[in-house]
Amino acid sequence: MNKEEIVSKVKEAFVKVLEHDNFELKDETTANDVDGWESITHMMLITEVEKTFNIKFKLMDLMNMNNVGDLIKTIESEL
Amino acid sequence: MEFVKRLQKSIEKHADNNVLCIGNTFFTYQDFAQEISKIRSEVSKKIPESEKLIGLVTNDDLQTYASIVALWFEGKAYVPVNPATPIERNTKVFELTDTKYVLDSSDSTVYKDFEVIASKTISETEVNLKPKEVKGDQLAYILFTSGTTGLPKGVPITFDNVNALVGAIDAEPEFNLVPTDRCLQMFELTFDFSVVTYLFPLLAGSCIYTIPKGAIKYFYIFKLIKEQKLTVLTMVPSIINYLRPYFAEINAPDVRYCSFGGGALHNDIAKEWSDCLPNCKIFNYYGPTEFTVYSGFYPYHKETDTKNHNGVIAIGTPQKDTQYLVVNEQNEEVSLNTTGELCLAGPQITPGYWKNEERNLQSFFVRNENGKEIRYYKTGDLCFKDEDGDFLYAGRADFQVKIRGYRVELAEIEFHAKAKSKKKVNMVAIDITNNLGNAELGLAIESEDFDTEDIFTHMKSKMPNYMIPMHVRFIKEFPHSINGKIDRKKLRTYFDINK
Repeated sequence: MNKEEIVSKVKEAFVKVLEHDNFELKDETTANDVDGWESITHMMLITEVEKTFNIKFKLMDLMNMNNVGDLIKTIESEL
Repeated sequence: MEFVKRLQKSIEKHADNNVLCIGNTFFTYQDFAQEISKIRSEVSKKIPESEKLIGLVTNDDLQTYASIVALWFEGKAYVPVNPATPIERNTKVFELTDTKYVLDSSDSTVYKDFEVIASKTISETEVNLKPKEVKGDQLAYILFTSGTTGLPKGVPITFDNVNALVGAIDAEPEFNLVPTDRCLQMFELTFDFSVVTYLFPLLAGSCIYTIPKGAIKYFYIFKLIKEQKLTVLTMVPSIINYLRPYFAEINAPDVRYCSFGGGALHNDIAKEWSDCLPNCKIFNYYGPTEFTVYSGFYPYHKETDTKNHNGVIAIGTPQKDTQYLVVNEQNEEVSLNTTGELCLAGPQITPGYWKNEERNLQSFFVRNENGKEIRYYKTGDLCFKDEDGDFLYAGRADFQVKIRGYRVELAEIEFHAKAKSKKKVNMVAIDITNNLGNAELGLAIESEDFDTEDIFTHMKSKMPNYMIPMHVRFIKEFPHSINGKIDRKKLRTYFDINK
């Protein structure tokens, strides 16, 4: 799976959890840039992304995930 | 004021130690002393002596923490407002307290109608940490909580109140911070729990680690535990609910103390969390904002001290100079093992809600004990005292609901619902009003859908029919208030039983 495909699937997961598509996912996008992405929905986003790619994140990866770029990189390393 | 003088001494004595770690930047007590001096000099220049209540915008920076100490050294109180809260509500808080001056470290302020001191741009001054004299009944801070009428409810706390809190924690031999301690400060400064997470480290010369605004709290806390090797944690239980799926990956031998408060700590998760912290003492603290943060604790130990009621860990015994009293609806003391409302008396009790006589008449009462008039605060928490003198939490007075005339404890339903569930997930029992105006019971489950037949079979074997929830909703993530507590009001909106 190339990066574009990953990003597009991540976007689908975000839309499903946040129930809107009023955002762009770039490497430098953080929770502050996306409406509704905060502590509570973060856990739901993580779970949804895990389901989409059939992977399981480690706590060590999650604690260093500061933006969408980090998320994509972690997914790539798990695939 | 003793604790303020001790703050001065500690800041002077620990000049070379780190005081704060904010977003990976460390500041020393020397930096802190400099910042406090600058702010208090500006405060004393610009604010008349008679103005005692000063607004404080709670950013996550050195200036905000220094402002609190600067105001105390100047004999003034802070009235904190969270910049993430709508400005209308914050302005309301300032109006209610007649606050005219606001300390704000933001790059540009939104408080145009107030006299704002921009605490980030004050020029250098000589260090001056000598506190002004204050009277014990002067206020140290006022915090606002949501009121039942929609108007925020102010809880003023005096210097004497804070001094009594410090004295009580000092008297506790099991809890002693040292200058090498690295302490978590995860709370908004508008939440009273924050007082113990900045004040105690400052008095000991320890370092305080804050959480950047906008960070995912539970992961950031783990990052601090792992990378900064925190030694002292103070948390609300909901944080470990989030980390629970990852407990197997957590091993934090550096943590010496972990204090919980601000919500019920459950026996099962306490045990699992305790396994992650092999060298740690766990304290289950109890105390309302109205009683200056803490009023007492239970020392939890996964093998030897696991006293609980319906799975909720005991709140233990009152701390030094505090008295607990469990009363019935006539404010009369009830006997051992009888549930009633917990009331607190002692030097940490607030002088009363800010300009709210009606509420004060409901929440405080005076009782004659051995010829002395003792003033009690009614917590709204249901408790009972056991033979050992430990107090056990039995739910909120307002979580006790009447179903078909029977009194029902929601915590009990939750306990039985969780007891035999194969899925270890959060469940909350809630009362919902139907079209007839009667209460019906709902069970909210924090999970994807699953079959609940075994849960219900078990509940039906343990409780009378009227206590069995009639409605079940699966909710992927429970709504939480800003302070990390489950928002039951919002949760109730998921039960659209009248459609």
